[in-house]
Amino acid sequence: MPIQYYIALASCLFCIGIVGVLVRRNAIIIFMCIELMLNAVNLLLVAFSKMYHGGAALSNATTTAGVDGQLFVFFIMVVAAAEVSVGLAVIVMMYRNVHSVDVNFLNRLKN
Amino acid sequence: MGILQFLFWLLSAVALTGAIMVLASKNPVHSVLWLIVVFFAISGHYVLLNAQFLAVVNLIVYAGAIMVLFLFVIMLMNLNTVIETRKNLWMKAAGIISGGILFLIMISVVRSSADMVSRTAQLKEGSIGLIETLGKVLFTQYVVPFEISSVLFLSAMVGAVVIGKKD
Amino acid sequence: MNAIILSAIWGVVLMFCSVLIKNKGVYRHIAALGLLVILAGNIHETYHGSFFNIDTHEMLRFSRFGLFFNTILLAATLLYVLLSGRDVEKAGGYVAEYFTLIFFVLCGASILTSFNTLLMLFIGIEILSIPLYILTGSDKRNLRSNEAALKYFLMGAFSTGILLMGIALVYGGTGSFMLEVPRSAIMGGYKGVSFLEVTGLLFLLVAMSFKVSAAPFHFWTPDVYDGAPSVFTSFMATIVKAAAFAAFLKLFEARVGDTSAAVDWKLLLSIIIVSTLLIGNVTAVFQQSVKRMLAYSSIAQAGFMLFAVFSLNDVAKEGLLLYATAYSLATIGVFAVLIKMKDVTFEGFNGLARKNPVLAATTTICLLSLAGIPLTAGFFAKFSMLSAVIKTGTYTWLVVVAVLFAAVSAYYYFRVIQAMYFKEGDAQTEEVTGGFKVLLIAVAALVILFGVQPQALLNWFYF
Repeated sequence: MPIQYYIALASCLFCIGIVGVLVRRNAIIIFMCIELMLNAVNLLLVAFSKMYHGGAALSNATTTAGVDGQLFVFFIMVVAAAEVSVGLAVIVMMYRNVHSVDVNFLNRLKN
Repeated sequence: MGILQFLFWLLSAVALTGAIMVLASKNPVHSVLWLIVVFFAISGHYVLLNAQFLAVVNLIVYAGAIMVLFLFVIMLMNLNTVIETRKNLWMKAAGIISGGILFLIMISVVRSSADMVSRTAQLKEGSIGLIETLGKVLFTQYVVPFEISSVLFLSAMVGAVVIGKKD
Repeated sequence: MNAIILSAIWGVVLMFCSVLIKNKGVYRHIAALGLLVILAGNIHETYHGSFFNIDTHEMLRFSRFGLFFNTILLAATLLYVLLSGRDVEKAGGYVAEYFTLIFFVLCGASILTSFNTLLMLFIGIEILSIPLYILTGSDKRNLRSNEAALKYFLMGAFSTGILLMGIALVYGGTGSFMLEVPRSAIMGGYKGVSFLEVTGLLFLLVAMSFKVSAAPFHFWTPDVYDGAPSVFTSFMATIVKAAAFAAFLKLFEARVGDTSAAVDWKLLLSIIIVSTLLIGNVTAVFQQSVKRMLAYSSIAQAGFMLFAVFSLNDVAKEGLLLYATAYSLATIGVFAVLIKMKDVTFEGFNGLARKNPVLAATTTICLLSLAGIPLTAGFFAKFSMLSAVIKTGTYTWLVVVAVLFAAVSAYYYFRVIQAMYFKEGDAQTEEVTGGFKVLLIAVAALVILFGVQPQALLNWFYF
């Protein structure tokens, strides 16, 4: 598959994630859009890793070129899991106090 | 068009539809379900790219653990009944426009980057995505970041307890 | 390596302390002891090598600059714990855990001063950020603290997403996560700059600007710094920000040279710097709360520190060391007093000089240093940043802009001094101990020492 298709697909997913962060106000949905952005990055990294592997495999059949891209994805997943646990804890803490997950709830209380 | 190409387009279409539905759904539970659809599509992409380990881990970690956590939180807090206050329409338009502009910029980068023309991502072949290869590299070359990420987990654990505990 | 491993271990030690030791007053002594140990370990590594012989496969590279930066960060944290440790105990119910998280942040910070691959940059930034989300929200009953934690978390996660996209694109363009890739190895002989790499670097620029709160991406800073408990704001605004700047400098030092054919980095950075200085300084003028004013002024100070990333030469590196020291010292000093105040608006400071002359005098010296008045450390810090810009030979008008904004900054710092000395009022403070006063005087003395003899610090660096 041409790598450009993968870049286009990943940037499309990434931009949808960004639009979601900018447009929605529900903290949980914003957080989900961030997860979407991370997944776009993961897909892109795997595609790049296979691109470099394919290039190197032409000259050396047993090469492990490109493996670092996939390991990076592994680390992103690790970090995403840690981030989710903290993030949801913060959201739950806020919900306990104000019964809302709106990101601008203080502004709303003032009005 | 071969079967691989067909699958690529199908999975891409599913992923994009799912992604758009994530932010278009009114009900947070539906958003979560659509996000799981996206994760499955992306896992499908990983299988196409012969990154089997990541395909499975993606399902286990993202669809299995992270999204379940989201669902728990949403359902425990009964958020599916909460109606989101309307955001200013101008703000919405501005968000969509700026996202669209970013997308156009990224696409134009793809089109104009001479070094990416005629380069392809290897489908189906290549063994770097198998557990054996990844594991060997992870526990030799990448062992330092692997160990250091344990600090990250520890801090996340401490943090979740500190923040989440009722006092 | 010493700093990374020892601070992780000491974090775990403190976790166990929370189970084994019930007396809350002990924790800060253990933390201070731990900081001394880590500091000693780090200084030992600077001159004699690490205790640990670990093959990092070039993922971490310990340069003299990075180790020295660690020393500054650790010393600043030690000072912070000594001055404000007692107030950490009042922030919430989990004192030992807060100290644990502070040690984990230090672990992340010492990764950021010595990373050599983008993977370690990413992990370092995450280890730095995740504990901070929790510290921000540690005042669980306070709505402002809650909102600050949520905002900080969402913005932090968002900027992590952007950072990762940047890293992925850089990887696509160069085929490696290493900071310095031999150009010949890239793309099988492809000549010219890869568009993907350049786009990736732009994403990284945005993400790092988020982390150091530079201008178009600063909007989270005032709310978060204002909402977080003051003790932790002090920590975030000094040690964490300095570490992020060390990473910023390291990243761009390695990559900018090769891609400057495609992007005018100097122009981009000068736009960011000018808008950071403008927004930070001008908004700070209109604040009614000293805490919020300090939040905006920290944005303005970030603008000055960005000059190091702008000029990327030896003077800039020395300048960043000086600036990190001067800024951390002064800010920790001001915040230590601010935490003791009952009322953090400008009115709350009225008449502090009569009531508590030591506090007022030391605060004045710290504020003067932040404003960059001669004979204080802040002056030489600003001076060396500006001389770094002059040394690059281009964009010298930036110096004029910077000096103008430094003059603006003097206005709002002097407002506090004016309130303390020339206004009638009854400034309410909490009980301050004699030891606290002695430490504050020591901070002020250090500020003046580095202001008179900035070479004292730098000579040590070259020793």
